[in-house]
Amino acid sequence: MSSVVQPPTLPGTPDQPVAPPPGKKQSTGIAAILEEIAAVLLMTFRAARMSVVPPFSWKGEFIEQTVLVIKRCFFPVVISTTFFGFGAPGLQGGNLVNVFGTVDRLGAFFVMASVREFAPWINGMVVAGVGGTAICADLGARKVRQELDALAVLGMDAVREIVVPRFLALGLVTALMNLIAIVFGVLGGWFAAVVVFGDTSAGYLATFSSNFTLPDLLGSIIKTSLFGFIIAAVCCYKGMTVKGGAEGVGRAVNQAVVMSFVGIWAFNFVFTTTLLAAFPETGNLH
Amino acid sequence: MSAPGYAEAPRGRRPTDGDRFKEGLAGPVRGVLQELGQIATFSGQAMAELRGVFRYTSEILRQVGILVTGSLVVVCLMQFVMGMQCATEANYVLRGYGATAYSGVFTAYCGIREMGPYMWGYIISAKVGCGLVAELGSMRINNEFDAMSSLGINPMRYVVATRLMACIIAFPLIYMVAMAFHNLANQLIIINQIGEVSLGGWEGVHYLFLRPLDFFYSEIKIMVMGIAIVLVAMYYGYNARGGPVGVGTATARSMILNLILVHVIGSTFTMVFWGLNPSMPVGG
Repeated sequence: MSSVVQPPTLPGTPDQPVAPPPGKKQSTGIAAILEEIAAVLLMTFRAARMSVVPPFSWKGEFIEQTVLVIKRCFFPVVISTTFFGFGAPGLQGGNLVNVFGTVDRLGAFFVMASVREFAPWINGMVVAGVGGTAICADLGARKVRQELDALAVLGMDAVREIVVPRFLALGLVTALMNLIAIVFGVLGGWFAAVVVFGDTSAGYLATFSSNFTLPDLLGSIIKTSLFGFIIAAVCCYKGMTVKGGAEGVGRAVNQAVVMSFVGIWAFNFVFTTTLLAAFPETGNLH
Repeated sequence: MSAPGYAEAPRGRRPTDGDRFKEGLAGPVRGVLQELGQIATFSGQAMAELRGVFRYTSEILRQVGILVTGSLVVVCLMQFVMGMQCATEANYVLRGYGATAYSGVFTAYCGIREMGPYMWGYIISAKVGCGLVAELGSMRINNEFDAMSSLGINPMRYVVATRLMACIIAFPLIYMVAMAFHNLANQLIIINQIGEVSLGGWEGVHYLFLRPLDFFYSEIKIMVMGIAIVLVAMYYGYNARGGPVGVGTATARSMILNLILVHVIGSTFTMVFWGLNPSMPVGG
């Protein structure tokens, strides 16, 4: 008999470092980064395919995750966007339009600031920092406790059961949260315009609503939904490939949040430049 | 005799719906306040330990080295992306006013006053903050702090205060280097990609509106943000419990608080420094 029965690892004890399987060389440097990105993309494509191919056994988990992420992210999003809207675009943008002598144009400025820029990415950062880290920590813990192996033994596909619901939940929640972020960002700007600069609410709202175009809103929603997919793909991948014990989970969460931030910002720049170039009328002041 | 399950009810009576409603409202508030109090106590202890921290100068220098080699590249990369973003919006927003020639005003204020510090807060809380939670958390799980105490080494000083001092030393310098990349990205986008303004026209306005005092204020902003982030992160790492899961949860919790702190500190300091006095070199 050649098979040797391994002693079971107790849950909670750190795993012994596992040597890479024979024949597979551990790559380093740029190659390792490229391999990681490729693995994330492969998992994303698989998750995208699983989300349209029946059976839809992930429905319950999807609702659970959606509620969980909304519960965790709501107050951070509200507080962050209100303060940000008051500070950066409200006061500094107000200073700028004050020099031009048109404080009521702060409303128009907020279409650019809140709808196109800061509401999407603050929302992306909060969902990545709050929801994404929690997902990564949760999956990392499952990996360490070998629950993912148990799923495989039961014949269940980890991508279908675990990745797909989180993937869709983050894509939906990030887009929904974006609307809340826009509202509270504009509220922060209202404080700056009306309370600090002494403008009228009517002027602020009138310039805001006359500049708020459909491409802006749709662009904002599509952008944040894609942010959600980026966050979910990175965090799930990082969580499901945790190595080592407590230190491994911590390191995975750290890498996941840094990778999602870099992904969000790089994607944000490409998307905004494309949107502005494709719809030049969004830049007009009405 | 009270019914089973309601043994803790006040004065032996069943909790009414009103009691449960009050507890549901008061519980979270009490929890948040308790946690904030504990973080404040921890921060005070860490600050107090800073007095004797230079006994471990070699450890401080090692931590500075880790900060520079581990975080400098990603901070510079993110500030570069932020610079591209600021420059793009500067051009497109001011085009609406027909004032593209003044893109320099927007880029100067966007970078040094606002988005530089915010981006700094985001990436420091992600890279350095989460890293510290993971590191200190796994030290706590492996009982290394207890081992240090029993060897007569104060972990608050040897672990927490040295890292805090390393951040105080390294952060202003990392920020300066990163802001150089920010300004470089401004120039690349406005001059080389969009190209509606001449190099001289943009540089003249941009560097006219960048006052040295603004840079000093900006440094104050990022130092307060950075120290707050590091202290919160080390609090959650130092008090992690519950095995590998606990470390992950602690990391997630530290991110919630850090993201909120970054925005609150950022907009408070904007109000204090520039709120009613934009200190612009033009206008009435």
